[in-house]
Amino acid sequence: MARRLATLLGCVAVLVPAVASARATVALDGGSLTFFADTLAIVARGGATVALADGTRAHADAAFVDLRADRAVLAGNAHVAHAGNAIDADAIVIDLDGPRVDVLDAASGVTETTRALGAPKAAAFDAARFAFPDVDDRNAFIRSKRARITPHADVRFVPASFPTSVGGVPVPSYLYTYATAVGFSATSLPGSTFDQPYGLWGSPTSLTALHARWEDGPGPALGLQQQLVSGDTAYASASLDAPIHGYSVRSFNAYRRMGARYTIEADGTDTIYGALAHVGMTAAFGPAGGRLDYTRTSAGASSFTATLRSPDRPLLAGATYRVSASAGFDAQRGGLLGALPDRSAYATVWRHAVDVSVASPTIRVPFGATLTATLDGSRTWYDFPHHADALSGAAQLSKTLIARGGAPRLALFAGYLGTWNADVYPTAQTLFYPTPITPLILPDGTPYYGYAAFSGAQTFRAVNVDLQYTPNINTTLRMSVIHTSDFPQYDGFGRPMWAVRGDARFRPFPNIGLDIGREYDFAWGGTRWLPRWNFAISP
Amino acid sequence: MNAVLLAAATAALFRIVPLACSGDRLAVAGAGVLRLADGVSCAAIAPGRPIAISLDADNRATPHAVVPDALPAAKIPRAAYVIAPAVEADADETQQVTTTIDVFVPPRTPPGDDVYVSTERSGWSPSELRMNRIDARHFQLAMKLHRGARLAFRVTRGSFGTIERDSARALPPAHIAAGEPDAHVRVDVAAWADID
Repeated sequence: MARRLATLLGCVAVLVPAVASARATVALDGGSLTFFADTLAIVARGGATVALADGTRAHADAAFVDLRADRAVLAGNAHVAHAGNAIDADAIVIDLDGPRVDVLDAASGVTETTRALGAPKAAAFDAARFAFPDVDDRNAFIRSKRARITPHADVRFVPASFPTSVGGVPVPSYLYTYATAVGFSATSLPGSTFDQPYGLWGSPTSLTALHARWEDGPGPALGLQQQLVSGDTAYASASLDAPIHGYSVRSFNAYRRMGARYTIEADGTDTIYGALAHVGMTAAFGPAGGRLDYTRTSAGASSFTATLRSPDRPLLAGATYRVSASAGFDAQRGGLLGALPDRSAYATVWRHAVDVSVASPTIRVPFGATLTATLDGSRTWYDFPHHADALSGAAQLSKTLIARGGAPRLALFAGYLGTWNADVYPTAQTLFYPTPITPLILPDGTPYYGYAAFSGAQTFRAVNVDLQYTPNINTTLRMSVIHTSDFPQYDGFGRPMWAVRGDARFRPFPNIGLDIGREYDFAWGGTRWLPRWNFAISP
Repeated sequence: MNAVLLAAATAALFRIVPLACSGDRLAVAGAGVLRLADGVSCAAIAPGRPIAISLDADNRATPHAVVPDALPAAKIPRAAYVIAPAVEADADETQQVTTTIDVFVPPRTPPGDDVYVSTERSGWSPSELRMNRIDARHFQLAMKLHRGARLAFRVTRGSFGTIERDSARALPPAHIAAGEPDAHVRVDVAAWADID
């Protein structure tokens, strides 16, 4: 299966055109470099030198490189040289992706020339080109000595430290990618509590990155990911996730937009427990749409689903409804219906389904609160005498208790989500859901007698109350209480009956944001409570 | 009386970033070239390091230490420049401004799910910045950006598998949050990658 995955990955990779590596074309060195991520500005102080790939060399007392405008501003005792020609001036502006060079002599004015430094011609003083940001170095995202820039793609800092009010964490080299193509935000790594990428190699169309991760369960892990990107229309990503304790996961995903109407996608995962691969296609027909999905596992299971959905249509009083219909099959080598003596006769079971969904608008209710609600019902029919029904309803109430400047400072939220599922075998219900002879034993060793009443119908109900406090722009505190009442709700196997979550998002330093969460599950899994941490760092 | 004098003196101070200083000329980043007052040298002026300046009756500049309430360079009278800009610079990037992102999610967003902003600053971490909930379908995030900044971002529900999709169920280009005073960006999420 791994070989098939690799083959599939190779096939998908060819869908991503124009994958090429690029070399840094601008080198910036200085006594100190500071990098500001939101403005993509690099400020060099204490003497700055700029070297371009075409042999142009420049130096000055200070320099500002604007990565968004692809422009370098050399300030104070500026000098630029190219192929034996040289110019000295008070300030010089060099376009990094074009030939233009602006020269400022404070005594005589501005002249414009090219990187060949031919005869200059008088020019107007364009203040926007002779800009130099007024920034506080303490707010820098990265501090360094050398920067190697690949325009429109990335910048490598050597070394790099991440200054805070209490110091910095230096690394020998750090690659910052500022390309915004959608593929750079794609990841094939599994979910994690914390993920800090560390770029190794990059180009405008590719990025190889190491990931320091913390995963819920295995704990610390290392990941390696390769991304190939073609603008916003295509990408492919392959990764290896290796927890220190646990099994590794090899994954890939790929995507390509085909015109304005279609997209195709593929993804796959390979672990010690087997491999899974999926391909899908979406289509848009005006506001309506459809999709095709095919999934296959190394255990011999596969499924196919073709779905059509209507657009959202007005129902009444601002509410909307949507209908979707699907058809497909489930297949399993050796047979699907394990409860039957002739299960091998049912290796493939076709099915079709209808789903109706209704959504309310946001309704203003008494006491300044707002209410939203959704209702969803579906039935799936199988070609074996069997159908599955699902009905769910959700409502959420929001109330701003204290507002400031139009934004809630203290807000209360309450929600209800109820779902009822029934798995119905009209002629063989007791065969598929037999009453257990002995009671189910829970993780804490106690018997669960109520399970005997379970015959295929399940109920899930959850009520939550959240309090959100936003004292200032950089700080949010939130407390949530969640109560579930399910059937079957077996302690340790289902959802915890009570959970309390608290999390805080704040900025201890100007350039570092923290999001710390703590969650307790009560009376679950044979323990009095089960605590968990969530942790995230943002620039 | 002293307060009035102090206020008058402070009002005459302009915060600038020197681009260069030579002879009696002071080039101001994003502005123009001023003439230095008699007896003032360039010794204390470092290109790229913000300073404050005052202008005398002849519009000649004298450097000072930076004070918090100095006026921006854009307030320097145009007549003061010996070389005035033909093309004005954009507003100076001296301060951080508040930009607000408002995200409206589709009705079938799973209730209780958090909504996140993912930016290039974190290498597109899908759970980089959790948004504040306004109501079930409206989320908001206010953030400080340098004036003039253009921050690319996308909206997720915490993972790349739950990233936003456009009405054709394709991945949309990144949104841009601009560093302008009281800037608002509205994003209407048409669909999620894992729904529909």
